[in-house]
Amino acid sequence: MKIEVQLTGSPLAESYSPLSTVGAHGAFVEFRGIIRGEERGQPVAALEYETYAEMALREIRRLLESIAERHPCLGVRVVHRTGAVPVGEAAVYIGVVSLHRAEAIALLGEFLDRLKQSVPIWKRRMVPVAGTVPSKTAISAPKPRAGACSLDGALAEIRSRCQPLPAVPAPLAEAFGRVLRETVCAPEDMPPFDRSARDGYAILSTDAAGHFQVVDTLDAADWRPRSLQPGQAVRVATGSALPCGGLRVVMQEHVEREGSRIRVLEHEHASNIRLRGEDMQAGQPLVQAGARLNAGALALLGAAGCVQPLVSPRPRVAHFTTGDELVSPQQTPKPGQIRDSNSTLIRGLLQNVPCDLEQNHLTEDFETAWRQLDPKRLAKVDLLLVSGGASVGAKDFSRPLLERLGFEIIFSQVNVRPGKPLIFGINGRRVAFGLPGNPLAHFVCFHFAVALALARLAGESGPVFLRAPLAAKLEDEPCPRETLWPAHLEWNSGAPRLHPMVWASSGDLSCLPAANTLIRVPANQAILEAGTEVDFLPAAGMVCP
Amino acid sequence: MNSHSLMRVLFFAQLKDVTGCEAVEIFSSSPLDRDGLWAALLEKFPGLAAHRPAVRLARNCEYAAPDALFAHGDEVALLPPVSGG
Repeated sequence: MKIEVQLTGSPLAESYSPLSTVGAHGAFVEFRGIIRGEERGQPVAALEYETYAEMALREIRRLLESIAERHPCLGVRVVHRTGAVPVGEAAVYIGVVSLHRAEAIALLGEFLDRLKQSVPIWKRRMVPVAGTVPSKTAISAPKPRAGACSLDGALAEIRSRCQPLPAVPAPLAEAFGRVLRETVCAPEDMPPFDRSARDGYAILSTDAAGHFQVVDTLDAADWRPRSLQPGQAVRVATGSALPCGGLRVVMQEHVEREGSRIRVLEHEHASNIRLRGEDMQAGQPLVQAGARLNAGALALLGAAGCVQPLVSPRPRVAHFTTGDELVSPQQTPKPGQIRDSNSTLIRGLLQNVPCDLEQNHLTEDFETAWRQLDPKRLAKVDLLLVSGGASVGAKDFSRPLLERLGFEIIFSQVNVRPGKPLIFGINGRRVAFGLPGNPLAHFVCFHFAVALALARLAGESGPVFLRAPLAAKLEDEPCPRETLWPAHLEWNSGAPRLHPMVWASSGDLSCLPAANTLIRVPANQAILEAGTEVDFLPAAGMVCP
Repeated sequence: MNSHSLMRVLFFAQLKDVTGCEAVEIFSSSPLDRDGLWAALLEKFPGLAAHRPAVRLARNCEYAAPDALFAHGDEVALLPPVSGG
C-alpha cells in the first residue's frame, strides 16, 4: 500500500489526487476535519497544533500499515496541519483509495479513532480577543522560531515545510532521476501470451509418443493460433507465441529431425514455457509512486507503454555567491582575495539531482546587490541558495536579502558543527537557504539541509541516517554542538567502515574530495573508539546498499 | 568511549509549560529504566509529578516498552495525552 504522510504549517490544498492510477481503484474516500467556532460551549478562534514531527510521521505510517492488514487498500494520503489553524479551515486531510468502498471506509474510520489515541499531536484552543468576531485576522499566529534550533529540529522543520512541487508528465527520455508521482500498473499481462522458452517443438503436454508430425513452424514474431492433435508438433523458436494452451516444448537438442517428422530422444519434466502473466499480471503495480526512476524502472515503464509518466518537475534553483574577496577560479587572486570554490561545489553537488541551476555573484553592498536582482525572475525560482562570503557574516547579508524577498525565516542557526549560521526561509512553496560561506560548512549544510529540501520538493521523504562502524578512532575536543564529521565510507574489507577525515576548520577544503559521508557525532562526545557503530549520512552520489 | 550515558529528553504541550523548556540533557553513569528516568526528571522538575500518571514515554520516536532501558544517545520524549485530528 502506498502511504504519503505530511505535516504542514500551510493551509491544505484545495484538492489532492488519489494515490493510485486511473483504472486501478474503484473507491476514493476523502475526509477533512474542519475547525469549528465552538468547543463545549466555549468560543474558539483557532486551534494550535503542536507535534513531535519525527515520531508523528512514523506513528501515522505504523498505524496505517497495521490497519491495512485487516482492511487492505491501495493508497492512503494523510496531511495534518501544525501551528495555528483558524476556524473554518481543515486541520487534517485523509484520502484513501481501494478496490472497493468497504475497506477504504473501514480503514478511514479506524485510523481516525487511533490517530486521536496514539499519534503525538496536541491541540490547544486559541480564544478570540474579547469583543472581536472570530476571524483569520483576530488570531495571533505563533511567533516563528527564528533562533537557533537543534539538528533534529531543523530536519523536522525542513521536512514539514517543504512541499512537493506539482507533478508534471515527462517523456521517458527526460524522466531519469526524477521521482515518479503515480503508481504505474501493468496494462496487460506480461508476457501477453504463452511463449516458448526454448528453440524446439511444441506438443500436447500429455503426449508421450516417440514420433511426431511437424504441422507448422512459428518464428518469434508469428501469431498463428491452432489446436494440436496427439502425434502433432509445431516447430517453435525461443519467444514464439504458442499456438494454443495445454502444451509443452521439447528442446531441439532432445529431438532428431527426419524431414517433416521428429523423433523425441528424451522427454523432460520441464514445460519450457513462459506462461502468460508469469512476469506480471494486468493491474499489478509495476513502479510505485515515490520511486526515483532509474534505468530499470524506465525500461519497465517503456515495456508497459507508459511513455509520459507523471513525475516531479525539475526544480529551478538560483545560487548567489557573495563576498567581495572572491574572484573566479580563472583569475589569480591579489593579496587579500581568494578564488571562489562554492559555485563549483554547489554546481557539482547538484549534478546528482535533476534541476535547472542558475548561478550569479552578488556584490557585498546590500543595496547594490538588491538592484542586481530581478525579483520577477526570482519569483519563479523553487529553491534559492545564498552563499555568504567569508568576510560577510551570512547573517548580515543573506537574512535581510531573504526577508526583503518575502521569505519567512524559520530558523537562522542550527546547533551543528560546521554550519551553525544556516538560515532557512519559506515563501509559499518557495524555499531559501542562506549558507555559511566556508566550503566545508557548505558541504555539510548541503547534505543535511539542501538535499532534504530537494528531496521533499521532489515528493520524497529525504535522506536518512544509516549506521556503520568506525574504521579508526575519532578524537576531538568535546563540542557542545552535534558535529557532522566528514568521513570516507569504504567497502574494501567486504563490509562498510567509516574513516573519519582530518579537518581543522570549516574553511577546510582538502578533505572534501574523499568525503562521501558525514558522521553524526553527539554533542560533548570527545572520543569515539574504532569499531563504534555511528550514525552517518550518505553524501551526494554515494551508492548505498 | 565515554562511560557515561547522555540522553536528550523532549517535552511537549503542557509539559513544556511545567518545565519551562523544550528539552533537557540527562547524564547518568548507566542506562536508566523507567523509574530511574523519572527520578532524574522529578529531581529537576518536581512539577512533573502531577502529570506522571498520564504521560507516556517514547524512546527514539517509538512508544517505549514497560521494561525499556534508556541509554546513551537515546532521544526520550514525555508525551502527555494526545489530541490530534
